[in-house]
Amino acid sequence: MKKYYSLVRALHLYFGLFISPFVLIFSISVLVLNHTAYFNRLRPGKEGPPVQKHIAGFQPQLSDSLTAKSILHSLDLSGEIDWISKTDTTFSFPVNKPGVTNWISLNTKTSVASITRHDEGMLKGMTYLHMMPGQHNAQMRGNSVFMKAWRVATDVFVYFVLFVSASGVFLWYFLRPERKLGIYSLGFGLAFLVFLLMLLF
Amino acid sequence: MQPRTFHTFTRRLHIHLGLLLLLFVWLFSLSGLLLNHGSWKFASFWDQRRESKIDIAVPLSALTDPNPEARVMEFLKISGEVQQQKRTAETLEFRVQSPGIVTDVSIDLTTGSGTEKVMKYNVWGKWRTLHTFNGMNKENPSQSPNWLVTNIWRFTMDGIAIGLIITCLSSWIMWYNVRKEYKLGYSILAASLGVAGYFLFWN
Repeated sequence: MKKYYSLVRALHLYFGLFISPFVLIFSISVLVLNHTAYFNRLRPGKEGPPVQKHIAGFQPQLSDSLTAKSILHSLDLSGEIDWISKTDTTFSFPVNKPGVTNWISLNTKTSVASITRHDEGMLKGMTYLHMMPGQHNAQMRGNSVFMKAWRVATDVFVYFVLFVSASGVFLWYFLRPERKLGIYSLGFGLAFLVFLLMLLF
Repeated sequence: MQPRTFHTFTRRLHIHLGLLLLLFVWLFSLSGLLLNHGSWKFASFWDQRRESKIDIAVPLSALTDPNPEARVMEFLKISGEVQQQKRTAETLEFRVQSPGIVTDVSIDLTTGSGTEKVMKYNVWGKWRTLHTFNGMNKENPSQSPNWLVTNIWRFTMDGIAIGLIITCLSSWIMWYNVRKEYKLGYSILAASLGVAGYFLFWN
């Protein structure tokens, strides 16, 4: 096994470096998600004034999703459509990018769209990335190229994390001076996790 | 601190913090995969949830208490994060949530009678819930968690996040110390910062 040490060390280092900015995004966003009120005070969201735009030749498409995309194209906007709501005269949906939401409401009779931009900043952008694609609204999710790419990126990230953590254990095993304290660290982590699971369940 | 001592300290911190967090990292990584792949059949939980509904009768003294939810939970022997409280002149409704168990309680305030609906998830559902269980209310972010266990779990998640940030920063320091042997590290770090920046600042 030791003959693989150098190779595993190099892979651990390179894969670890590669995932490090993503680990920072996911870790910082945990703090923001767990202390939303504090971060809201630190950096409140900013809502811009509604902007009215006329969409010439607006036509509903075969599906709501296609209609929303066509509206976005006409307004020269892009992003992940979150959900769609309709009434007899309106067609509304929010479009997300990390840290920014554009609320679009189109009057289907007059073809006038109202766009309101809500800017939540970089930290909220991290929480958006953390929660996407997520478990909700699976049928809608991934309607932008960005979200399709992020879906792949999060999977790759998790598999790299698993590799980096497993290879870290492999490397530690060959470090004799660190073995005893390492067993304590691992054991304490296990004991604490078991304690928490007993509390929770 | 001497550079060599600092290097040794950073290296040991990286190793032991990594080992301490190892099982938590696996727990959250795998539950993250489950959340992003709700269509995975082997891990389906919603279709396999167990639901039950029973009629209850709560003492009226519990309902006149300043904190009736707590008294009712004590009486029904349930614990968890209290959410979605609704009180009218006639009824008291609330939800109690713990990982994998959702209990909806509805009580007639005049008679003390009501219903307790319980929904229980399988092990996959419980695992998924652990990932998101922080007691925060999206509609009302100023509302703090009200169950001690939620707070313990929430602060543990904070600790894990801070630990991972330290692990990350220490990895950069450790690589910097051996950068001449691992020159590819420059390109990899630059590429990953570029990719992460693309996603974060895609506006």
